[in-house]
Amino acid sequence: MTVKTKNVLVNMSGLSKIFPNGTTAVKDVNLEIKEGEFICFVGPSGCGKSTIFKMITGLEDHTNGELEIFGHSPDEARKQNEVAFVFQDHTLLPWKNVRDNVALPLQLKGVSKKERYAEAERVLELVGLAHTTTMLPRELSGGMKMRVSIARALVTRPRLLLMDEPFGALDEITRQSLQEELLNIWQKDSSMTVLFITHNVFEAVYLSSKVAVMTPGPGKISSNIEVPYAYPRGDQFRTTPEFGELVGDVSKVLDH
Amino acid sequence: MSMKNPALSTSLIKEKKWSFDIQTILFSLLKKVSLPILVFVVFVGGWELFCRATGIAHYILPAPSDIYLAAVANSENLLGAMFVTISSALMGFIMSVVLGISGAVLLASSKVIEKALYPYVVLLQTIPIIAIAPIIVIWFGAGTNAIVIIAFLIGFFPMLSNTLVGLNSTDSNLRNLFSLYNASKFQTMWRLRLPAALPYIVAGLKISCTLATIGVIAGEYIAGIGGGRGGLGYAITVAASNIQTAYLFACGLAASVLGIGFFLIINYISKLLLSSWHESEMDQQ
Ligand SMILES: Nc1ncnc2c1ncn2[C@@H]1O[C@H](COP(=O)(O)OP(=O)(O)O)[C@@H](O)[C@H]1O
Ligand SMILES: [Mg+2]
Repeated sequence: MTVKTKNVLVNMSGLSKIFPNGTTAVKDVNLEIKEGEFICFVGPSGCGKSTIFKMITGLEDHTNGELEIFGHSPDEARKQNEVAFVFQDHTLLPWKNVRDNVALPLQLKGVSKKERYAEAERVLELVGLAHTTTMLPRELSGGMKMRVSIARALVTRPRLLLMDEPFGALDEITRQSLQEELLNIWQKDSSMTVLFITHNVFEAVYLSSKVAVMTPGPGKISSNIEVPYAYPRGDQFRTTPEFGELVGDVSKVLDH
Repeated sequence: MSMKNPALSTSLIKEKKWSFDIQTILFSLLKKVSLPILVFVVFVGGWELFCRATGIAHYILPAPSDIYLAAVANSENLLGAMFVTISSALMGFIMSVVLGISGAVLLASSKVIEKALYPYVVLLQTIPIIAIAPIIVIWFGAGTNAIVIIAFLIGFFPMLSNTLVGLNSTDSNLRNLFSLYNASKFQTMWRLRLPAALPYIVAGLKISCTLATIGVIAGEYIAGIGGGRGGLGYAITVAASNIQTAYLFACGLAASVLGIGFFLIINYISKLLLSSWHESEMDQQ
């Protein structure tokens, strides 16, 4: 069992978002996220998962309630470069090679070429793509592009990693091997917290230490389900009775 | 092995394909051009025969052989005129590219500026160049200056509007990514929006280079030579007033050769610029 410290990293209380057009995307969300957790947000599309992420990164303001990240406002937290984001789409720049793509966050920060390349190579090693440094995104498969995208997120050594349906567009086999890799990377860095959006209940239970189950109309967290199963989990976890039960619990909340 | 070093194996495959393909490429090229060449031969031959059979006056319809002889006899003048025209076209084109792209960057960097200025840019574009040419001649004097400015004005708008559309159509996820990493406005422009607009800029280049050649020849008509050496447009006016119809045809042909040559060069440069882009990314644009 991994021992992880318990500082509160993200605190949402009574958090709501009403868009200018009147849509209530999320209403009264309360959630305390502790350092080192792996939390999956699962729910049907349109229930406000992405909106919560956008508020955490400060891309969208919240309209009501409180939201603190490391005790700061979202904007301040983002400026400290400790929050990283992986989108469903790989969002790689087609005209830059893999290494330059991965080093981009550091380049924008003004880190020297030598330093940022060294960091890029470190994280590419981590995702098993050390041999692709000078290749262009178009030369990579979908799964490899997603790995590069994850490497880019890790390059700033973030304390908080947000992933919005990152494996949604991948085939099941690639998806499972990436899940495995992600868990490995997360375990190596005990202080990194991962928030992961998915609409796949199996993926949520397999990955997370806690599942935040969201329901629409208006978007809210209906239930937090702990997954008390030790890491590293390995494929056998998927076939245990506990796994089945937890999947059942989550699905029950979603069906309501 | 192919798993370990995909870069190596793909380059091997490419090489193999290349040496194998050279025959098929030549063959398909031959197939592609043989039909147009046949049409050309039939057309020129028919024209020549028609002129000889009917004995039509040379100053009304010169035979292809007359045109060729006129071109050879005046080759020094013709080449000189071509050189003058292409120099002016190149200058006008470079001006429209530089100012078109900078103008687009300026408009795109602030919504307020864009909203305030773009309608006027469009309005200016609708004024026919013929209508403002005399003013340009009054301001800049007859000759090269006025000619280059006319060529610039014609090529400027396509360059500006293409680049502007490109700058404004950057993928919103990519823009979010840059905001997330606290990129400055300048960084977002230089590292994201401009490179992402490249396919649009390239489309603008192709339009503007064609227009610049046309603009110069039209400009030479309107603005004369003002003491300098005359280009093709000027040569055309002279040949027309002397009823040197065969030479007139030769000038027209030279103008289209220039236009096509210029376009092919820009087309080639465009391909180089976009070499790191994948076709699929181009299709999305
Ligand atoms: N910019 C926006 N303006 C208005 N409504 C929006 C905007 N973005 C999202 N919404 C609405 O907010 C709700 C939640 O969206 P989102 O967070 O993207 O859902 P999810 O990620 O769970 O699929 C949806 O009803 C969506 O239509
Ligand atoms: Mg979403």
